[in-house]
Amino acid sequence: MAGSLDIGGSQFDVSWFLLLAAALFTLGAVGVLVRRNPLIILISIELMLNAVNLTLVAFSRQLENLEGQLFALMTMTVAAAEAVVGLAILVDIFRVRDLEDIDDLSELKG
Amino acid sequence: MAIAVFIVFGLLAILGGFGVITFRQPIRSVLSLVVVMLSLSVLFLLLSAQFVFVVQIIVYAGAVMVLFLFVIALLGPARVTPRSRLRFQTGLSALFALAFFGLLYAMLQGVQYRQPDHTDLNVFGTVQSIAVGLFTTYLYPFELTSVLLLVAAIGAIYLSRRDES
Repeated sequence: MAGSLDIGGSQFDVSWFLLLAAALFTLGAVGVLVRRNPLIILISIELMLNAVNLTLVAFSRQLENLEGQLFALMTMTVAAAEAVVGLAILVDIFRVRDLEDIDDLSELKG
Repeated sequence: MAIAVFIVFGLLAILGGFGVITFRQPIRSVLSLVVVMLSLSVLFLLLSAQFVFVVQIIVYAGAVMVLFLFVIALLGPARVTPRSRLRFQTGLSALFALAFFGLLYAMLQGVQYRQPDHTDLNVFGTVQSIAVGLFTTYLYPFELTSVLLLVAAIGAIYLSRRDES
């Protein structure tokens, strides 16, 4: 089978890693949908980005091609930039007002 | 042996993911995310991505998570909302997530894998091989990420400045 990997003498299937990444991504998506704390929503986004990184690295290993790992490193950079700007916006909002629920930020609603 | 490592750290990652979305206190969510990241780094090592493994621990579990902890400490103790305003949305999103996971699972059944390139796995994912990729073929995107980081740093400083007026 083409999707099989040989890691340390054990036979793996690359779809195990993909399935794990899919489960983690789904958990992150549920976090964004269900939780109302803006901080937890940012953390859930980080979880989803990490799950995608696992997919990239797994495919990189299966195809024995380094480009997946390079792209995973780029994803980490983008995730770090996103976290920094998101947290700065959050701190700025919290300085002006107490925020318990992200739905309270509805001033722009027509 | 390798399969045992995969099962243990895969389960740990799933448990941490559940922790991220279920804990009421934000600080516990952040610490669960650290668990997820450390177990994912072990899986990266299993997939012979040594450099990504080290960067995952230093940059993610180290720097980004400490940033989250700093912000939580800055904002003070969490004010727990007495009752969620979401009524039917929680069940609806669980249904959506299940359907989404089912779609992903069904898609994985039909994936046609390409035959792997035959590279030397002894040097695969080492610092040297990553650096050769980053500084030759992907030099332009690599330099662009430095611009992105600069923009993010300036944006964060601008947003968190104190008003002098």
